[in-house]
Amino acid sequence: MIPRPHAAEPAAEPAILLAQVVKRYGAHRALAGVDLQVRRGEKVVICGPSGSGKSTLIRCINALERHDAGRIVVNGIALTNDEGTVQDIRQEVGMVFQHFNLFPHLTALENCMLAPRLNRGLSKAQAEKLAMAHLERVHLADQARKYPARLSGGQQQRVAIARALCMEPRILLFDEPTSALDPEMVKEVLGVIEELAASGVTMICVTHEMGFARRVADRCVFMDRGEIVEEGDAARFFEAPESERLRHFLAQILR
Amino acid sequence: MNALPIDLDLAWESLPALFDGLMVTVFLTALPLIIGLALAFPICFARMSPRRALALPAEIFVVFFRGAPLLILLYLVYYGLGQIEALRNGPFWIVFGSPFGCAIVALSLNHAAYMVEVLRGSLLAVPHGIVEASEALGITRRNIFLWVRMPLALRYGLKAYQNEVVSFVKGTAIVSVVTITDLMAVANSIFEQTYDPFTPILCAAAFYWAFVNLIRVGFTVWGRWLSRHNAEDAPLAIPAGQALQGLAGRAKVTP
Amino acid sequence: MTNLSLADLAGYLRQLGEGALITLELFFASFALAFVLGVLIGVATLSRSRLVRAAWRVYASIFMGVPSLLVIFLIFYGGSAMLAAVLGEFGARIDISPFGAGVAALGIVYSAYVAELVRGAIENLPKGQFEGARALAIPPFIMWGRVILPQVMRLALPGLVNVWSFMLKETPLVSLAGLQDLVAAAKIAAGATKEPFIFFVATALVFIAFSAASLWLANRLEERLDRGQRRAPVRSPAQAEA
Ligand SMILES: Nc1ncnc2c1ncn2[C@@H]1O[C@H](COP(=O)(O)OP(=O)(O)OP(=O)(O)O)[C@@H](O)[C@H]1O
Ligand SMILES: [Mg+2]
Repeated sequence: MIPRPHAAEPAAEPAILLAQVVKRYGAHRALAGVDLQVRRGEKVVICGPSGSGKSTLIRCINALERHDAGRIVVNGIALTNDEGTVQDIRQEVGMVFQHFNLFPHLTALENCMLAPRLNRGLSKAQAEKLAMAHLERVHLADQARKYPARLSGGQQQRVAIARALCMEPRILLFDEPTSALDPEMVKEVLGVIEELAASGVTMICVTHEMGFARRVADRCVFMDRGEIVEEGDAARFFEAPESERLRHFLAQILR
Repeated sequence: MNALPIDLDLAWESLPALFDGLMVTVFLTALPLIIGLALAFPICFARMSPRRALALPAEIFVVFFRGAPLLILLYLVYYGLGQIEALRNGPFWIVFGSPFGCAIVALSLNHAAYMVEVLRGSLLAVPHGIVEASEALGITRRNIFLWVRMPLALRYGLKAYQNEVVSFVKGTAIVSVVTITDLMAVANSIFEQTYDPFTPILCAAAFYWAFVNLIRVGFTVWGRWLSRHNAEDAPLAIPAGQALQGLAGRAKVTP
Repeated sequence: MTNLSLADLAGYLRQLGEGALITLELFFASFALAFVLGVLIGVATLSRSRLVRAAWRVYASIFMGVPSLLVIFLIFYGGSAMLAAVLGEFGARIDISPFGAGVAALGIVYSAYVAELVRGAIENLPKGQFEGARALAIPPFIMWGRVILPQVMRLALPGLVNVWSFMLKETPLVSLAGLQDLVAAAKIAAGATKEPFIFFVATALVFIAFSAASLWLANRLEERLDRGQRRAPVRSPAQAEA
């Protein structure tokens, strides 16, 4: 399943390190020099107003967006323009999207099998076994043969999670995994993510689900206008925000 | 003048000749369909390349061979290329020296140009998020093309492809101008022998109609098989802004 | 150009010009016929009657299932006989010219495509349009002319542009029935001057240029129609997921 941080590796090395990361879209700076370190096994929740750069930040970590300046190190691998390095990092990092982005022409099971078969050359039987194990983890073993169009939003998102798990990544990135879901499905998806969190994987999750953040997050990060404005443990973060911007933001989402 | 303008005896007598003509038409359809498709892929990649030096020649190719009437292309290859000394003395004269070779070259180039646009439109119709999800899984670009983009593009573009193939078949009816005895030419020669303006042409029409509708049925079956993953739903939804239906016969897929 | 005197060239150019004019006339006449026939057929076959719908299916299937060239030959060779059958003695004396056969054939073939576009567009209109007009007691003639058809045309425009450019590329087929159009003139010039390459490429470029020019016009027209449709430019909402 999810490999735990190896004891042999130096504990001091962070799972993810971002130093002065800048991302520009034309003249607009989506990330204006972001510093962030995530320890192995740490769960970080990122929140912030729309357009503050949350998606941009986590998409830079697995090179879906290329950063313009600064340093990104993932599991000890420094992210460069080299295609091989990017590929190496992506093997270590799983990502779950707001809109699931499942392969519509493949069944839930085949969705999960594709990457292990192509990237690691697993046989069909091996990949199927692996995929079934992870579908079971997200409580969808009984839906394995269905196509995404036949599944509910919550089920689709859980398949997407299983698909990411099948690459056995040490780091998981979630970009608003529940904001495209109907309210009654939010819980099943958050429940699955919470169970994963207990397994020791490193996690960065962009979400505005505060109950989830309190239960799961070791640390909450607030972003605004491409910068990290404030960070702290969940309880303090929500109860005693220091900056005016975070107070304002919390007041808005709580209203 | 009897009620039916068809002379049944003549029709019966003409059947073998018409059938031979049909076989020529089928051959002149099949070969250019294969060659044209094979040409369309590299040209389409060039056309979609961000590098101007690749994209521009590809675009010129498409504009010329799609914009020029097929009859002119055929004249151009048949009469025009013989002018080129190097070609006449080169090894390719086997192709360009024969009417069949010329017809196949002209038809293939024309089909390739249309298929570049069909392919491009279909590839552009693949939702970007799904490609990103594959990238995030660490699947290589080549594998993403083979296992994600192409299978989806085929589903989005099947209707346009069908329209192109159907109107391509009808377009082959002009090859008699370079002395090839296809179905149309056989019907014409029977007319010239008998001065019956209806029987041979209407019989040829029936053959064309049957051939075209056989192709339509084939595509329908293929499409149904491809969209088995949402058989109860409407056919795979096509992202807005992509006009994939080509009601004017040859589909125009450019968004 | 090796053995082409200036005077010869001028002569051929004049012939090409005359041919181009005939091609243009043929094209406009055929398109007009296809358009009028297509709209009429499209509207007429919307009826709920099974028979009418079946007739439409047969019509569309036939003319979308056979080559235009075949229809051209059919009308060119058999047109007189057909007219004689319909009009009797008087019809038999009408001679079918290549031009007439071409216009009739292309008009009929493409009317099927136009009709399909029109039917699709009408079916995509909001149902309220018809009910609204009926509730206001607007007479059917005015309803169709002022309310329905303008919207149908707007919806069908992209498809009509397709028909337009595709039909243009099929006009040279009529030269095979003997019409002295642009392509026929190019072929004569090519044969006489032994310069086929230049003449055919130039002819192709004329078609491409005309097609490009009309596409450009169509895009302007489409933009204008769209602008009339929208009230205010819609502000794009912030990207949910960039
Ligand atoms: N591909 C792009 N091209 C241009 N600008 C972009 C692009 N992607 C993002 N941006 C801009 O960068 C900024 C940050 O975007 P980002 O998607 O990271 O915000 P976000 O915090 O994830 O917002 P949301 O909560 O709406 O998802 C925004 O101003 C956005 O408009
Ligand atoms: Mg976002």
